[in-house]
Amino acid sequence: MRLRVQGLPTAAGVTRVLSLLAVVAAVGLLPWLSGRDPALTVLRARSAEQEPTKEALDAVRSDLGLDAGPLDLLGSWAADLLHGDLGTSWVSGTDVLPSVVSGLQVSLALMGAAFALALLLAAALVAPVLVRGRRSAGAFAAMLAAVPEFLLATVALLVCGVWLGWLPTSGWQGPAYMVLPALALGVPAGGLLGRLVADALPAVLDERWVELWRGAGVSRARISAAALKRVLPQLVPQFGMAAVGLTGGAVAVETVFAVPGIGRTALGAAKSQDLPLLQGAVLALLLLGLVMGAVAAFTRRRLLGPALRDASLALPAARPVRTHPAIPLTLLTVLAVAIGWGLLRDPYTVNTAARLAAPSFSHPLGTDGLGRDVIARLGHGAAPTVGTAAAVCALSLLVALILGFLPGVAAGAADIANALPPVIVGILVAAAAGPGTGGAALAVALISWPPLAAHAAALVQEVRASAFLTAQRAIGASPSWILTRHVLPSVAAPVARHALLRLPGIALALASLGFLGLGAQPPAPEWGLLLDESRAYVERAPWAALAPAVALALLAGLAVSGAAYAQGRRVPRTGGAGSTGSTGKKKEALVEV
Amino acid sequence: MNTPLLDVRDLVVRYGAVTAVDQVSFSLHSGETLALNGPSGCGKSSTAHAVLQLRRPDSGEVRFEGRELTTLTERELRPLRPRMQPVFQDPYGSLSPRHRIRDAVAEPLKVQGRWSREGGPDRVAELLDRVGLDPAYGDRLPHELSGGQCQRAGIARALASDPRLLVLDEPVSALDPSVRAGVLNLLADLQDDLGLGYLFICHDRAVVRHFADRVLEMRGGRIIT
Repeated sequence: MRLRVQGLPTAAGVTRVLSLLAVVAAVGLLPWLSGRDPALTVLRARSAEQEPTKEALDAVRSDLGLDAGPLDLLGSWAADLLHGDLGTSWVSGTDVLPSVVSGLQVSLALMGAAFALALLLAAALVAPVLVRGRRSAGAFAAMLAAVPEFLLATVALLVCGVWLGWLPTSGWQGPAYMVLPALALGVPAGGLLGRLVADALPAVLDERWVELWRGAGVSRARISAAALKRVLPQLVPQFGMAAVGLTGGAVAVETVFAVPGIGRTALGAAKSQDLPLLQGAVLALLLLGLVMGAVAAFTRRRLLGPALRDASLALPAARPVRTHPAIPLTLLTVLAVAIGWGLLRDPYTVNTAARLAAPSFSHPLGTDGLGRDVIARLGHGAAPTVGTAAAVCALSLLVALILGFLPGVAAGAADIANALPPVIVGILVAAAAGPGTGGAALAVALISWPPLAAHAAALVQEVRASAFLTAQRAIGASPSWILTRHVLPSVAAPVARHALLRLPGIALALASLGFLGLGAQPPAPEWGLLLDESRAYVERAPWAALAPAVALALLAGLAVSGAAYAQGRRVPRTGGAGSTGSTGKKKEALVEV
Repeated sequence: MNTPLLDVRDLVVRYGAVTAVDQVSFSLHSGETLALNGPSGCGKSSTAHAVLQLRRPDSGEVRFEGRELTTLTERELRPLRPRMQPVFQDPYGSLSPRHRIRDAVAEPLKVQGRWSREGGPDRVAELLDRVGLDPAYGDRLPHELSGGQCQRAGIARALASDPRLLVLDEPVSALDPSVRAGVLNLLADLQDDLGLGYLFICHDRAVVRHFADRVLEMRGGRIIT
């Protein structure tokens, strides 16, 4: 273990720097990567009436410096960047830097409010564990953590803004405008933080010293404080990841509530092909993520102190929340019935006479803005979503298995992949390749492998250290025999199960890209897209928005309860073998959800 | 005197700055049991792994059946490996938890190209019988056996390679005292019948006093007797 800690930083550090450079270079090369002619975009934006003649396009092209090769382009972009020059917007012709800075200010205020709210929520979730003792509040917190921001934002907009009319739902003119966006952004993050602490605390409160302190008459408050101090340092890296997740969530939330933040700027720039503005905005978001990760790492070092930096005081294995199998099964059945029913109906027939009809016998969930049947669209949207998610799962499983054998290389790349929320990768891919299902799948696949790779690496390490593998070498088995007969079978099956559990989560990530217009394109009945389309009619036909929202919430519930059920089943089995170290490692890999 | 089965000269194994095995020399003949005795961390298991070339020594010679092993490549070594087999301390850890006992014992035959559809299963049954396991146990998984039965299966797997030397790395330390004698008696019978050489790694002198022909004491990576 210690050898690994000493040996890896070089490999991991090198790949970390290389991955970061690759991401930054991808941002810098966006104008070249996007195969479509950006000169056309600019010409259309600058003078709508001018014909796109060859001379006019060439003039724009040399004006933008696009006639140079990709390396020159990257070089001049990087050189300008070092001088603090982010370029000029192609669409508005103004400097990019001021727009990025003002967007960043708004987003930082929003994220700050959301993070404060998340901490409050996490405290509220953790308090019962500390006060009442052993019972974990993990299940409820996990539920909150699984709800995607775009769904929460839409529901909050619907309920608090439109129906109840309590709070403004669009714009950025005062503190009242901050409440709903901060809520939508902060609740999932708070759920995640609360779940992490609430899951870890019961095992810590079972440790010997707690009994000893209690017997010595130490107050409950002091024991609670000490237990928190024991738990927090190990969880800080995951807190950092939650903070990074805020940057991705901000894109969706800012879009829903029309907040002029950096996320909405990036999305708008991607959609209008305004690449310099997009480069600036994405760079700012990346920087934000990296700074948050660095702050988390620094905080952890400070909390641990010099003596414990090598994680020699690991947390006891968290006791997972057991879920009754009936819960995921019920969710699955409800979803399957709705999808099956919808599959029997026609999702594309436009019937303008029956626009926005309320649920009735002929349309069980009503109709949408074009008079199309909502349940049919839900059903037909499920198959491609699940299919794409399965393909993404298979791809990340493959990547994870390969990288599981190269833990040094994987660790550095995983750090960067973890710092990139799916939405931001989705924006980059969409800007380079145009929005579409394939691009969205690629974006999600690019960043969904790290937890699987960590799991695979832990298993590979465990198998390689076992005596039966040494015995294989001793009987003269070749490396390929050992790999295919012993190592892969012990690693592939558990990691594949883990990948399957991530299917609903990956489907949600794809839906969030669809919601932002970065995934499947209309008239495809993709779930995220359904929710987005129905937003326009939310006041007249709330059921059209409610149906996809409920379907997505069921999916989130399935993601959480399925994972909890499988985890609860796994623990007694591996625990029985008596190798506490290895089960602890496996669980660490699982916690990084 | 004929050439020894195993001749180790000035063996050195280092882990970074730590020298685990320091200039160790000994030799061992067929039919003989040589015990390496010492407390944990004295380098005896590192010596065993270096002898088996499972961890290549940093310097020194390991001559097995007259052939120098340390200069061979991994590929050249592979056909020689079956001739010297390890038996490990942890009876469960030394068998794959996913494979049935029968498959574990058959694996050396398959790896070494000596498996046939007719003769293979009979040879496995014969080996299980030889170590005192009812061949019906072949259908079981390691965790369905007791520690002593698992250790017997491990010995059967080692015998499947037709070895001349067994490196016994604390083969009975993890077993109940009640089954230790049974496993030690089995090893003694096998040595009488097959003329095997044993390098017996041990940390309890009482175990080896009756079993070994010679006992070398190791402390801090060196042999002190």
